[in-house]
Amino acid sequence: MRIVIAEDDALLREGLALLLRAEGLDVVATAGDPDGFLAAVDEHAPDVAIVDVRMPPTHSDEGIVAAVEARRRRPGLAVLVLSAYVEQMFATELLAGGARGLGYLLKERVGRVEEFLAALHRVAGGGTAVDPEVVAQLFARTSPDARLDRLSPRERDVLALMAEGLGNVAIAERLFVSEGAVHKHIRSIFNKLDMAPDDRSDRRVAAVLRYLDGRERAS
Amino acid sequence: MEATKIRRLAGEARRSTLRALRDLLGGFGTAALALGVLLWLVVVAATSLIGIGLPLLPSALRALHAVADLERARLSRRGEQVLSPGPLPDRWRAARADPATRRELSWLAGHATGGLLLGALAIQLPVWAVRDGTFALWWRLIPADQATPGLGLWTVDDWPGVATVTLMGLCWAVLTVGLTPAMARLQAARGRRLLAPGPETDLSLRIAELTATRAAALDAHATELRRIERSLHDGTQNRLVATTVLLGAARRMLTRDPAEAEVLLERAQSSAEQALAELRAVARGILPPVLADRGLAGALSGLAATCAVPCRMEVDMPGRCAASVESTAYFVVAEALTNIAKHSAATHAGVEVRSRDARLRLRITDDGVGGADEAGGSGLIGIRRRIEALDGGLTVTSPPGGPTTLEVELPCGS
Repeated sequence: MRIVIAEDDALLREGLALLLRAEGLDVVATAGDPDGFLAAVDEHAPDVAIVDVRMPPTHSDEGIVAAVEARRRRPGLAVLVLSAYVEQMFATELLAGGARGLGYLLKERVGRVEEFLAALHRVAGGGTAVDPEVVAQLFARTSPDARLDRLSPRERDVLALMAEGLGNVAIAERLFVSEGAVHKHIRSIFNKLDMAPDDRSDRRVAAVLRYLDGRERAS
Repeated sequence: MEATKIRRLAGEARRSTLRALRDLLGGFGTAALALGVLLWLVVVAATSLIGIGLPLLPSALRALHAVADLERARLSRRGEQVLSPGPLPDRWRAARADPATRRELSWLAGHATGGLLLGALAIQLPVWAVRDGTFALWWRLIPADQATPGLGLWTVDDWPGVATVTLMGLCWAVLTVGLTPAMARLQAARGRRLLAPGPETDLSLRIAELTATRAAALDAHATELRRIERSLHDGTQNRLVATTVLLGAARRMLTRDPAEAEVLLERAQSSAEQALAELRAVARGILPPVLADRGLAGALSGLAATCAVPCRMEVDMPGRCAASVESTAYFVVAEALTNIAKHSAATHAGVEVRSRDARLRLRITDDGVGGADEAGGSGLIGIRRRIEALDGGLTVTSPPGGPTTLEVELPCGS
């Protein structure tokens, strides 16, 4: 797995590179600003990019803009965005073009190395990784999509973990239920959200996007 | 017990008399100006009748507004604020219809006569009191036909007459103490009544002005909060994230390579220490603790002591100002001294701080190369924003070749 890191804080950048290299991962380049990052993407053809949201010059959402541009230049590039805090707008901006191979995590999750590496691998494999904090905020908000209100509390838990990008087995472990039970809940969620079984899109992702879409329409 | 009471009463009387005399003297000054403007207006008005004075009318009206503004400022310093009714017309036709201008004219006539008289009397009364009170000491030294009391009513040639004059001096002194406060009130009353905005005045201009400065204050406040948020997220938080990253890496390294894990732990610790240092810097940036501990004077002398350029500090500040004002003053001086150390090549810097009449004035000078320019990104813009947010003012004088002077005025706000 070839990795490019874009992070303007030098110490954190080196710390990340050190951590990943110690795990035997191939960090091919690191960059401190959006331009350097895009150049590295062009030059090294990475599989995954780890991108900080706030980068020079204005330290607002340069990282998101750069990540979207990198995906445009190199379709299929997996991007894991790291953020100092949860900002719904960043999540929707990022996921607007589809959620495959995308992740959005709070920076401090990196310290939980096992979970961070799992998220990184998931994203690199075309999955999603959405920070539990993001998901929690989505659920806390009264949704503009009335269909979401039909979900039972348990189904919401399952959807939350799906949104984080976990698979059925992992969800079953977290909720201390059988895999079969999780499967049943997910079928029920798809039903309640009017997603036909023959829907060809990735329904798991679609279910998550329903929240993000609703949020986008509301704003 | 009785003695202290009398002493206290005497002290109060002396203070109120001195205050009244100062007010009357100030009023005498504006009254003299008012008399000049009144005479000028009469001349211009008279010559306007035959056409010659017409071009001079606007300037005469501007003089009227100017002297009225002087009196407003004087009255505002001495007591309750007298608001300006806003810009007044200097065209005759508009001015004639303008009630505020008409009231200014009425004030001008009264102040130039009655106000002047009261002021003159206030000067005369203490003079007579001293002259007649001390008459006994020097009446023999002057030619006999000039030995008269202050009013010059009769010629004194014997001791009973001297005693009478001394008694008169005592009367003048009693009158000075007894009358001047009322005279000062009387002299100010006309201005307070006629120069304040009348019921018809549209105060929306003043409101707009206040709204703008308030918006600037909120804006500066928001900028300040953004700065703090940034230093927390991009500085402190990053250090802490780096710490957790290094700790996470160290934990995984522990079994594989304990020596390497030790190196990582060492780095994690120094990263956490950096986080602490940055947190301290951020907290200090919000409100320097030294300001709360030692007051503005103490905090500023600390700044002067650490300044790279030798700095002379003079602080004359009897009371304290609002915390926001003091912290702004502190930052302005800190920023200015940093600028001096960085750009001016100065060998000496000076800071003067004075608070008078609810205003805090700062004067920061250096003998450097000058040429400080707000457009040059020298931090002057930041200084100006912080000052204007508090409704204060900044004047920068910095010709090429120096010297540079920053003059700051802030309302104390307490």
